[in-house]
Amino acid sequence: MRKPRIPARLSRPTKNVLAFDTVESINWRALAPIGVFFLLCVVIAIFSPNFLSVSNAIRILNASAIPVVLVMGATFVILMGSIDLSVEGIVALCAVVTASLVLNDTFASDLGLWAIPFAVLAGGIIGGINGSTHVYLKVPSFMVTLGIGFVCLGIATAALGGFPVRISDRGFRALTLGRTLGLPNGIWVAAAAVAVAMIVQERTRLGRYVYAIGTDETTARQSGVPIERTRVLVFVLAGLFSGLAGAMAAAQLGQGHALIASGRLFTTITAVVVGGTALSGGVGSVLNSVVGVLIVIVLTNGMVLMGVPPFVQQGVQGFLIIVAVTLALDRRQLLVVK
Amino acid sequence: MGKIANNSIMLAAAATLSSGIYTASFAEDMTLAISMRSLSNPYHATFARGGEAFAESVGLPFEVLVTEGNSEKGLADIRALISRTNGNVCINVDPNDSPDAATIVDEAKEAGAYVVTQWNKPDDLHPWDHDPNYVAHMSFSGVGTSKEITNALIDAMGGEGGIVAIGGILSNVPAIERKLGMEMAVAETGGKVEILDFQPADWNETKAFEIMQAWLTRYGDDIKGVWAANDSMGIGALEALRQEGKDGLVPVVGIDGTEAALAAVEAGEMAGTVAWDPMWTGGMGLSLCHAAASGAIDIAAEPAEHREFYGTGIVVTSANIAEFRSRDASFDFNDYWAKSTGQIQYQ
Amino acid sequence: MESILELESVTKEFPGVRALDSVSMHVDRNEVVGLIGENGAGKSTLVKILAGIHRIDAGTMKFGGEQASFRSPRDAFDRGLTMVFQEQSIIQTLTVAENIFLGREREFLRFGIIDKRAMNAAAKVELAKVHLDCDPATKCANLDFAARQMVEIAKALSLDGRIDSDIVILLDEPTSVLERREIDLLFEIIKELKNKASIIFISHRLDEVLQVSDRVYVLRDGAVVHETASKDATITGLHEHMVGRQLDHRYYRENKQRQSLGKPVLSIRNLSIDGEFRNLSFDLSEGEILGIAGVVGSGREAFARCLGGLLPPSGGEILIDGRAVRLNHPHQAVNAGFGFVPSERKSEGIVIGLSVSENMTLAAGKRFSKFGFISFERERAECQRWIDRLRIRTPSTKTPMQSLSGGNQQKVVLSKWQIFGSKVAVLDHPTRGIDVGAKEDVYELIREMAEQGVAIILLGDTLEEVIGLSNVILVLKDGEVSARFEAPVGAKPDQIDLISKMV
Repeated sequence: MRKPRIPARLSRPTKNVLAFDTVESINWRALAPIGVFFLLCVVIAIFSPNFLSVSNAIRILNASAIPVVLVMGATFVILMGSIDLSVEGIVALCAVVTASLVLNDTFASDLGLWAIPFAVLAGGIIGGINGSTHVYLKVPSFMVTLGIGFVCLGIATAALGGFPVRISDRGFRALTLGRTLGLPNGIWVAAAAVAVAMIVQERTRLGRYVYAIGTDETTARQSGVPIERTRVLVFVLAGLFSGLAGAMAAAQLGQGHALIASGRLFTTITAVVVGGTALSGGVGSVLNSVVGVLIVIVLTNGMVLMGVPPFVQQGVQGFLIIVAVTLALDRRQLLVVK
Repeated sequence: MGKIANNSIMLAAAATLSSGIYTASFAEDMTLAISMRSLSNPYHATFARGGEAFAESVGLPFEVLVTEGNSEKGLADIRALISRTNGNVCINVDPNDSPDAATIVDEAKEAGAYVVTQWNKPDDLHPWDHDPNYVAHMSFSGVGTSKEITNALIDAMGGEGGIVAIGGILSNVPAIERKLGMEMAVAETGGKVEILDFQPADWNETKAFEIMQAWLTRYGDDIKGVWAANDSMGIGALEALRQEGKDGLVPVVGIDGTEAALAAVEAGEMAGTVAWDPMWTGGMGLSLCHAAASGAIDIAAEPAEHREFYGTGIVVTSANIAEFRSRDASFDFNDYWAKSTGQIQYQ
Repeated sequence: MESILELESVTKEFPGVRALDSVSMHVDRNEVVGLIGENGAGKSTLVKILAGIHRIDAGTMKFGGEQASFRSPRDAFDRGLTMVFQEQSIIQTLTVAENIFLGREREFLRFGIIDKRAMNAAAKVELAKVHLDCDPATKCANLDFAARQMVEIAKALSLDGRIDSDIVILLDEPTSVLERREIDLLFEIIKELKNKASIIFISHRLDEVLQVSDRVYVLRDGAVVHETASKDATITGLHEHMVGRQLDHRYYRENKQRQSLGKPVLSIRNLSIDGEFRNLSFDLSEGEILGIAGVVGSGREAFARCLGGLLPPSGGEILIDGRAVRLNHPHQAVNAGFGFVPSERKSEGIVIGLSVSENMTLAAGKRFSKFGFISFERERAECQRWIDRLRIRTPSTKTPMQSLSGGNQQKVVLSKWQIFGSKVAVLDHPTRGIDVGAKEDVYELIREMAEQGVAIILLGDTLEEVIGLSNVILVLKDGEVSARFEAPVGAKPDQIDLISKMV
């Protein structure tokens, strides 16, 4: 058994006043991703002072906006011990839905910003299909989401015959192109997504049950936690975030097509894991994943700034991911590594 | 329904135009087919549409085989099609990988089917060594085209300044050729134009977006031009510029001639792109194949430059975009080599 | 006195076993009832019935005067019957308050958002009942075992005032991993809780049971064999009721116990694992069977797992044939010559998905392969020989492991190390959960192994088993050797002697 860090004091029954002097020790491992992030920033700044400019910071935040929205959903799924591989499919399909509903060159519609709720809803529905198939047909989430992701890509391809839908609605594109208080709107949208995710994580039963299931499903079940409903809801939540990300991607690139999200899945899962959320479930947080996204994006940005040769970049990226994950995990606790 | 409607009108026009010409009767049950990577990218979608237009013009059954980037699947599908039709089939195939072409040719030869290949094949595999079943190989000169579009970029920059270049997947043949062409064009300026940095973005829009952002930090206003090895990455770079209000101020070029890039050229946001005309490669490849199979031409007697040839890549800039848009997209399916730009050269 | 919980002729059968045979017992309001019995006596079945995990086959269970049948642990909890298990039902990543009210957050919801402050305040009220001084917002992973146990008791007490019926708290081996000081505290708290709830107290430690309970039930072979008020009982008396059966020398094949031993093979010098056991030293010879006795938490399980390479030692030396060996990893233990038969057979002893022969040759794979290729014919032949010899009931060598009975699975595990040729067999409860016939086969095999010169370390399922099989017995108490008994045939030590050194 692992030795506890803080022995809480059992007071003598005769003593009736409870003294609160238990000191919460700082869990350094939980802070490891932040350390990695700052170290990375320092190293890049030494080689390239431009890195610390305000405009670059905004660029980094801007590039992080969509991945941050995506990891909000993915973190809950991973905290629960499952995985969502349908990210690219849902984002692509929702981007196509968005692009088709705003003023565009292919379909006659002009919903403007009202297209966003539809995209989010579409994402939620696909998430619901993911979750229900996983829970009620008892198919591992890995397989279900992989399959549903391909189905989404297939629909996005078939609906458009492989062509992109181009957005001509400048008003809608302001979702990511416009600025509020000096920051691109995409950053505000991502911040709002983080706020919602934090409330869900910290202040709702859903958030609590996610941790309970991810840590010990049997005990959670015995404590009356509605396992099936929670699992489905978490996939719906992930779908909603993916849907929003789809709308943002459409706004950012001014189009919707089947390949618009390619590469997003890898960034998403990497960011969640680098942020310190364990793939085995139960440990981590959405804020960790925000840090994870920043690490991944800063790394890409920094390597270009420092002029790291392209053929070395992938190696450096892989190496740093392993370092970050190693620092964030308490390996002594892990008996079996899969 | 703007674009799709337009395209169908084009198809109909193509069909009407050519159907009158084909009066000779051929084996009624000959099947026409196209094999390619995926329907989800515009290039291949148009490629398939070209094939379909030809098939409609001759009133023969038409099939589309999709490899999904998987050579095994591609070969298996082709094998199945050949055996289903007893070899009575013409296939215009864009092989998933170069070595696949050899296998496909062997299979076709054995069953008496006819094939035309696009883009990828081993350098030592030639149609004339496999008469008559291996009809032809069509490709585009990556180096030459890239050099042309790079010159267009340099013109747009006013002949001097620094450019940043976004490449495809480092090991891809087209990525290597396009990079080479770009470097040759830059070298010819005698130092007036400088490549500030080259980064691969793996043909990916989002990656190009992030790299462009980093360049804006690193080089800022020193960037006078952006070169991208394909249009998707060009659009990604353009959107990164737009984010900073610099769209249209820094010229961007891409390659492939996608609708998004053409529209950006029209809007003055991109300086140019190269249109491959997949409609032509799809339709004319099949037409040539069908002509050989039906005996309309004696393919074995045709010279080498009619068996391995480059198609026409059209450099589209703001100067000729209107003309490009209004050009007659339908073509005479009997004029097989009208758009050939010479025999394929191996380096 | 009014009975809160009443069992009347409760019977429970599993395929081939009658786990509970017409058990009748009752728990009165504000009473602490002790429940004791050897492993396999039916305690855990009884607990699982009360917890709503198993359903009774015959008889009646009344709770609060009404017929009751719990659908799930959650159902039992909601109605006032709560368990505090050894395997705690605390979710480590949640806070104390979150654990106490897990699944019952509705009370604190405002528009779907949990009012954390209200929940923490409510949790503090419950923690005060068990005198646990900790922040309700602390993650449970930060608490030590004793504190977590208190959180569980607090969770049970949180029902007080939230439901109408009385509360019964079932404490299953609550003291096994507690320190002396913590145990004293627990007992004081239990005495205080008596006016809020009734308590069922299950423990191996008879002295504790007598100390804390008002009344004691003794279970044996699935039946209540004795009921007594604690003030009238003695440890010795209770123990006799627990064991009951006359010792039968033939049962343990004592005639086959080796009189003369081979050369020394294993030496343990001052072996320690922090927090588990200290300064363990002994020598073991070929063919010798060393029994280790001790209560749960005495350190004997940790010692066995240490020799299996599963718990690295923190100090001391292990020598095989005079050479020091390192045991930081299971493969080191296997290569050093230790064959570990774990108590958790299903999860650690066998690979469920593999076949009988694959399990048998798992360790000795090298012997049946050339250049990495397995010689299936030789493997099959060797396995068949062992199947015949151990009378393993299996249709073939290819049969999947899960279709074998527990006893036959255990024989496969034992044969695995025989085939590999381990010098020292470490048997951690080798007869746990297997039927009587299979037990005898296992005893026979243990004797055979000893005859062939294998040195054996045995953690028995019962004291009787340890005494019957061993040449020598070490008694562990609180991580240290408290006594060493020679156990030659005809002069075996008495169980009472051992128990007095165990507790």
